[in-house]
Amino acid sequence: MASSANSNPVPKLYKSVIEDVINEVRELFLDEGVDEQVLLELKTLWENKLLQSKAVEGFHTEEQAALQAAQQQQQQQQQVQQVQQVQQVTQPAQAQQVILPPQQQQAPQQQVIVQDSKILQHMSATGMSAAATAATLALPTGVTPYQQLITSQGQILQVVRAPNGAQYIIQQPQQQILLQQQMQPGGVQAPVIQQVLAPLQGGLPQQTGVIIQPQQIVLASGNKVQGSTQVMQAAMAQQPGQAATAQVQQVQQAQGAAAPQAQPQQQAQAQAQPQAQQPPMMLQVDGAGDTSSEEDEDEEEEYDEDDEEEKDKDGGEDGQVEEEPLNSGDDVSDEEDQELFDTENVVVCQYDKIHRSKNKWKFHLKDGIMNLNGRDYVFSKAIGDAEW
Amino acid sequence: MAYQLYRNTTLGNSLQESLDELIQTQQITPQLALQVLLQFDKAINTALASRVRNRVNFRGSLNTYRFCDNVWTFVLNDVEFREVTDLVKVDKVKIVACDGKSESTQNKMDK
Repeated sequence: MASSANSNPVPKLYKSVIEDVINEVRELFLDEGVDEQVLLELKTLWENKLLQSKAVEGFHTEEQAALQAAQQQQQQQQQVQQVQQVQQVTQPAQAQQVILPPQQQQAPQQQVIVQDSKILQHMSATGMSAAATAATLALPTGVTPYQQLITSQGQILQVVRAPNGAQYIIQQPQQQILLQQQMQPGGVQAPVIQQVLAPLQGGLPQQTGVIIQPQQIVLASGNKVQGSTQVMQAAMAQQPGQAATAQVQQVQQAQGAAAPQAQPQQQAQAQAQPQAQQPPMMLQVDGAGDTSSEEDEDEEEEYDEDDEEEKDKDGGEDGQVEEEPLNSGDDVSDEEDQELFDTENVVVCQYDKIHRSKNKWKFHLKDGIMNLNGRDYVFSKAIGDAEW
Repeated sequence: MAYQLYRNTTLGNSLQESLDELIQTQQITPQLALQVLLQFDKAINTALASRVRNRVNFRGSLNTYRFCDNVWTFVLNDVEFREVTDLVKVDKVKIVACDGKSESTQNKMDK
């Protein structure tokens, strides 16, 4: 085991700290009445973030994979229960694929799945009030149900209006939730919906379900999405994490099976969406330079004065059409010279003794965690010299 | 109470972010998250003191120094961190150091 003595102590240390914390905290969680599942989720989130940061190498990957497999199985079980409750039509087992949104939304999405069974039971009786529907659907904040439409297939659509004006249709089939974005100038909705759904009714064995976060749809729409498949792909591409990719693969397999039938769906939706006009604006993280919308223009007007000055300075900044000059003045040449990792190298520790003679400083430090060039190190003692 | 010094590390920040996400989805209360962080403080302090056993040397030039509330903050430039195994060079590093004696010797404030 001599070789292991030279190996990096950081992953082991971190793992042991995580284990300690989780175990100590278990009691606290139980006292508060919080489920063990939440504790496991905390642990998973924590480990995932550590993995993503790449500050530590080789870290808990097996356990994470096992946990995620367990979580997937749990979700599939939930969906199976829902199918049994709601629908008599038998569906192939592999058809129940749900793409999870980013992990922060996992809980509400699970709630949505479970509660859909109740909703569908009620739907046939009465139309629900907007508030009740919003509550039961666990819609993201600001999104309110707008209308309920019933297609000829007996499916109930919930048209939902987000605060930014975008309208989404939440289709509530057996066990899946399909969010489609309707990019419209706000005109008539019913005929378009039916038009979109027509090919669906034509025998498409809805084998794939996709949960798309409205935020992701908007991000994609900002880039002139032309078809819902692109929306789905964009949404899927934006989801980090192993859970998303694993399930995306499964969805794609199911989609492969339904490919010939999926194509008419895609074409119909592509036809429905040339009506797309002003994409709703939300936080855009992929840079500007795309279609201008109202808000874009507003922002640009504010920066007009700065615009002229800075564009004169940086005439070379090409390719940034209508770009707010926020970025043009920010680049300092030092940034390019510094390391590729834009971490500020930080050492967090305790000092035993700090000594100074004239301008010669000596540092005696202990129990420290360092992040240098993006990587983590630890030490029990550190001794240093510096001139001021 | 253990130093909350280590919360601003990769490990600590990822924990805080995870807790924030759980708070957002209302799976835990902020109070519970605080308790978790306090527990983390204890755990990391203990782990560093007991489970880590390596030495590092470094040398550089001191750009700034600050001593306030018994906390030293240094910014060094062109620093080399040397361990037995390897060498790491950075252009700039910030060192934040809390008093290493006050915790264990809180009863012995004889100086």
